[in-house]
Amino acid sequence: MSQFLQPTILLLREGTDTSQGRAQIVSNINAVQAVADVVKSTLGPRGMDKMIQTGPKVTISNDGATILNLLEVVHPAARVLVDIAKSQDDEVGDGTTSTTLLAAELLKEAKPFIEEGIHPQIVIQGYRKALELALEKLEGFSINISRDSPEDKRDTLLKCAQTALNSKLLANTKQFFSELVVSAVEKLDPNILDRDLIGIKNVTGGSVTDSFLVDGVAFKKTFSYAGFEQQPKRFENPKICLLNLELELKSEKENAEIRIEKPEEYQQIVDAEWALIYEKLEIIVKAGAQIVLSKLPIGDLATQYFADRNIFCAGRVPQEDLLRVQKATGGQVQTTVNGLNPETFGTCGLFEEVQVGAERYNLFKNCPQSRTATIVLRGGAEQFIQEAERSLNDAIMIVRRCFKANKIVAGGGAIELELSRYLRHYARSVTGKTQYIVNSYAKALEVIPRTIAENAGLNSIEIMNKLRQRHAQGGEEGRWYGVDINGQSGVCDTHSSFVWEPSLVKRNALCSATEAACAILSIDETVKNPKSDQDTKMKPKGQPGRPPMGMRR
Amino acid sequence: MSLAFDDYGRPYIILRDQGQKKRMKGLEAYKSNILAAKAIANTLQSSLGPKGMDKMLVSPDGDVSVTNDGATIVEKMEIQHPTAKLLVELSQSQDAEIGDGTTGVVVLAGKLLEQALTLLDKGIHPLKISDGFDRACDVAIKHLEQIAEEIDIQANDHEALIQAACTALGSKVVSKRKRELGKIAVTAVLDVADLTRKDVNLDLIKIQTKTGGSVEDTRLISGILIDKDMSHPQMQKEVTDAKICLLTCPFEPPKPKTKHNINISNAEDYNKLYQQEQQYFIDMVKLVKNSGANIALCQWGFDDEANHLLLQNNLPAVRWVSGTDVELIAMATGARIIPRFQEITPEKLGKAGSIKEVQFGTSNERMLVIENCQCTKAVTILIRGGSQMIVDEAKRSIHDAICVIRNLIKDNRIVYGGGSAELACALQVLQYADEVSSVEQYAVRSFADALEGIPSCLADNCGLNPITSVAQAKSRQLSEKNPRIGIDCMDLGTTDMKEQRIYETLSSKKQQIQLATQVVKMILKIDDVIAPDDY
Repeated sequence: MSQFLQPTILLLREGTDTSQGRAQIVSNINAVQAVADVVKSTLGPRGMDKMIQTGPKVTISNDGATILNLLEVVHPAARVLVDIAKSQDDEVGDGTTSTTLLAAELLKEAKPFIEEGIHPQIVIQGYRKALELALEKLEGFSINISRDSPEDKRDTLLKCAQTALNSKLLANTKQFFSELVVSAVEKLDPNILDRDLIGIKNVTGGSVTDSFLVDGVAFKKTFSYAGFEQQPKRFENPKICLLNLELELKSEKENAEIRIEKPEEYQQIVDAEWALIYEKLEIIVKAGAQIVLSKLPIGDLATQYFADRNIFCAGRVPQEDLLRVQKATGGQVQTTVNGLNPETFGTCGLFEEVQVGAERYNLFKNCPQSRTATIVLRGGAEQFIQEAERSLNDAIMIVRRCFKANKIVAGGGAIELELSRYLRHYARSVTGKTQYIVNSYAKALEVIPRTIAENAGLNSIEIMNKLRQRHAQGGEEGRWYGVDINGQSGVCDTHSSFVWEPSLVKRNALCSATEAACAILSIDETVKNPKSDQDTKMKPKGQPGRPPMGMRR
Repeated sequence: MSLAFDDYGRPYIILRDQGQKKRMKGLEAYKSNILAAKAIANTLQSSLGPKGMDKMLVSPDGDVSVTNDGATIVEKMEIQHPTAKLLVELSQSQDAEIGDGTTGVVVLAGKLLEQALTLLDKGIHPLKISDGFDRACDVAIKHLEQIAEEIDIQANDHEALIQAACTALGSKVVSKRKRELGKIAVTAVLDVADLTRKDVNLDLIKIQTKTGGSVEDTRLISGILIDKDMSHPQMQKEVTDAKICLLTCPFEPPKPKTKHNINISNAEDYNKLYQQEQQYFIDMVKLVKNSGANIALCQWGFDDEANHLLLQNNLPAVRWVSGTDVELIAMATGARIIPRFQEITPEKLGKAGSIKEVQFGTSNERMLVIENCQCTKAVTILIRGGSQMIVDEAKRSIHDAICVIRNLIKDNRIVYGGGSAELACALQVLQYADEVSSVEQYAVRSFADALEGIPSCLADNCGLNPITSVAQAKSRQLSEKNPRIGIDCMDLGTTDMKEQRIYETLSSKKQQIQLATQVVKMILKIDDVIAPDDY
C-alpha cells in the first residue's frame, strides 16, 4: 500500500493538459471527424460552398484547403488534417477535400479496431501495406494518354481542367475557362512551367465570361502625375525600358548640408539638383526608349518630360508585374541609367492602355518571348472573383501537372472504387489481423464516391451497390464506372464521359491521407502546455521573477 | 457551435474561440441568406422606374443625401450582413461596368431569391435550382440579342442617344429637365469620344457642381471650369486669345531640395540677398512675358510680392490650381506643363479663345471658365441646383446618363425599356421551360416569374395595378408578337415602348440579368455559414 502514501511528483507545469492511452487515440479520431464533417459537403460537382466570416472579411469558398485554413483549427490532432490539405494544395493544387475526407474515413474505420484492443501499430502496418498495394495498382490502372499530336494533348489538358473546375462556382462556364487556363499554361516555358508567370488580375464588374487572356502582361494603371494623360497610350513594337530607379527630384534631407557663401552660388546648387535628374531623363530618351516602367516612383517632372517626348511611363509598378514584363518582353531591369544600352530594352507586339470595368489597364500583348500570360478575371462581386481565382488556380495547377506527367485516371469515384475492389480481393489472400485492416482500408476508399453521390442528392446506398456490382464484373469495361450526377441511373463510365484527373493527384492524395491517419493513430499521449498568455496573467499574482519550473529542479 | 465531449467528459475544443462562433447549416443557412439579401432588394424596390421614389440617407456624421441611384443607396446604407453585402457589391459592379441599371439588378436578384425560396420549400436541391436559373439566363440573353435593335447613333442629330439619356434620367429627381440634361450629356460625351476606337475616357468630362440657381441653369462648357479666381483682384477679368503658361513650379526663388542654411553676417550681405531675391522675381515674370504668354496658371502658390509684380507687369495669374485641373487644361489647350521657368518657350503655351472670371448670383464666389480651347478634348458640365442635395443627385444622374451614352457608342444595340424586354424574355423562358424534362423545369419557370417581377414592380411604383397591367402587356406581346409592349408608366396612352422612345442599352440589360443570376447562384451554393456569434 505504500504507493498511496507517495507524495505526488510534479513533473509538468501547472495547467498542463495531459491525456494518454487508448482513449486518447479515440478522442483524437473524433476530433478529426468533426473537422472533416465541415468540408464533407463541398466534395464533387454538386458540392456546396462555405461562407466563413473572420472579422470584417467574408470568404466564400469550395476549396478544402482554404476552408480548413480559415476555420482556425486549434485541436492538435485535427490540425494534422489542415496540414495535409495544405500540403496537397502545395504539391498538386487540387484534391484537397478528398484528401481530408479520406484521412478522416481511414481513422473512422480504424476506431473499432482500437476500441477492441488491437494495437495501433498493427493497424498502421496494415494501412501502410494497403497503401503500397493501392499505389502499385494505381500505376497499373492509369492510362497513358497519347501524346502524338498537339491537338490530342491539348484535348486531354482541357478535360483535366474541366474536371477540376466541375465542383466550383465556375462549373457552368468550365468550357470557357478550361480553354483560358490551358492557353495560359501553354504560354509558359514547357521545361519549367513556373506558376508565378501566370498572373491573375481581378476586376469587379462584368460577367465571368468577359474574362480574357492576355498573351503577355496586364497590370492596373499606376498612380500618375499631371501630364500623364498627354502621353501616347498605344504603341506598336515599342522599346520598353525597365528600371528600378527613382525618377524624381531627390532631396538629401538627412546626410547632407550645404553652406553657401555667396548668393550666386545658390543658383548653382539649384541647377545642380536639376541637372542630376535631367541627365537621367536625357539618357533614357537618347537610348530610344518608348515605354519606361519603374518599380520606384516616377515624379511629375519626369512624367511631363516624357509626355513632351511622346514616351509612356509608369512608376510604382508592382514587383511581380515588372518581373513578368521582363520575362515577356525580354528586357532587363536596370538599376541605373548610366550606360543604358538599347539591348536591355524589351519589346512587345502591341502596347495599349484600355478601360476594363472601372479601371484602366496597361496591356502588353504579343510578346516575342511570351513565356508569361495574364488572366483578367471579371465577375459580379468581390467574393465571387476571389473564389473564381482560387478555382482557376486549382485548374492551372492540374494542367501544369498534366503537362508533365501524362498519366490520367477517371474521376467521379471510379478509381477509388476500383482500388477498393482490388484490395478487398487481395484481403482474402491474407491471414491474420491484416485481413481486417486491408478490408477497412478498402471500405474507407469508398467514401469518395459515396460522398459525391450524397452531395448530389442521390441515394448513395443504391448507387454504391450498383457501382460495386459493375466493378465486381471486372475487366476493362466495369473498371471506370463512377457516379454520374446528371443521368437517371446515377452511374456511368466516367472515362468515356471525360471526367479525367491526373493520376498524380490521386497518388498524392492517397499517400498523404494514409500518412496523416497513421500519424494520428500513433499518438497515444498529448501534452498540452498552458497558453502563454495565461502565463503572463499568472505572473503578477505569484512570485515575481520566479524561474521556470525546469530550472528549479 | 455545439460542443462534443470526449471520454473524460471534457469538451473538444477544435476551433479557436469555438464558443463564440456560430454555425448555420443546410436549409437554415440558405433561408437566412436569402432573407437577408431579399431585405436589401425590398428596400430598393420602390426606387425602380420613372415614378420610383427617393431615399434619404443620413450618414454617421449627419450628412444627408437624397438619392434614387441604387448603387449609392446600398453603399450609404453601410450594410453589415455578409450575404447582403454581396448584393451591395452586385450593385456596385453594375455601376462600375455599365453605370446605369444599378437598382434593376438588385431588384432582379431579390426576385430570383424569392422564387428560389419557394423552390427550396418544395424540396428541390439548391444546385438544381441554380442550374435551372443558369439555363434560363442563357435563354433570356439569347432572346435579348434577338429582339435588340441596332440604332444609328449619328442619325437625326444624335436623337437616339438623347432618347437613351432621357430614359436614364427619367427616374431621377431631374426628370423634368431630362431633355436638356440629356442633350448636354450627349454633347459632352461626343466631344471627348474617340469614335474610331469606340473608347470614351470619362476622366475628360469634368462635372462641377455649384449650389444656387436652378437645374435649368446647368450648362455645358466646351472647355474647363476651375473653382479659382485671379490671384489679384485688380487683374483683368477676361483674357481673349489667351496664351496660357502652365507652371508646376512656384513663383518664388528656387529652393534646393537638400537641407540648406543661409548664414548672413552683415547688412551688406542681407541687401545682396534681398536684391538677388528680387531679381529672381523679375526674371521669372520676364521669362513668362517674353514667351508671349498673357496668362499664367500655377499649380503652386506665390506670395504677395510676386503677385504685385505680376499685376504691375499686366500678367494675370491664377494660383493653387489642382493637379487634375492642370492636366485637364493641358489636354484641352494643347499646353505643355512647364516644370521650371528656364524651360518656357512659346511652343509650350496653350491656346484658348477666352478665359473669363464669372460670378454666380450674389455670392462672392468666382470661377474661371476657359473656353474655345485649341483642341477641345476636355469638357465640363456645370450643374446648378437649389440645394446641395439636388446638385449631388443631379451629378449622379448625369453620370448615369453619360455612362449610357458611352455604352451606346461602344455597342449601338438597344432594347426597349418599360419592362418590355424583361417580359419578352420571360415569355421566351417560359416557352423553353416546357422543353426541360428534369427538375430544372421548375427553376426555369421560376426564373420567368422573377423576370416578370420587374414590370410588375414598375407598374406598382407608378400606381398602376401590377397584376392587370402585366397581364395585359403579356397577352399583347403574345398576340401581336411585339416584344416592345411594356408598362405605360408615364401615362402616355401607349404601351409600345418604341413609340414612347424608352431606350435602354443591350449591354446594360444583358449585364443586369447575368450579374443577378451569378450572385443568386453564389448565394444558393452556400450551405454553411461560420461566423462570430454576434452575426
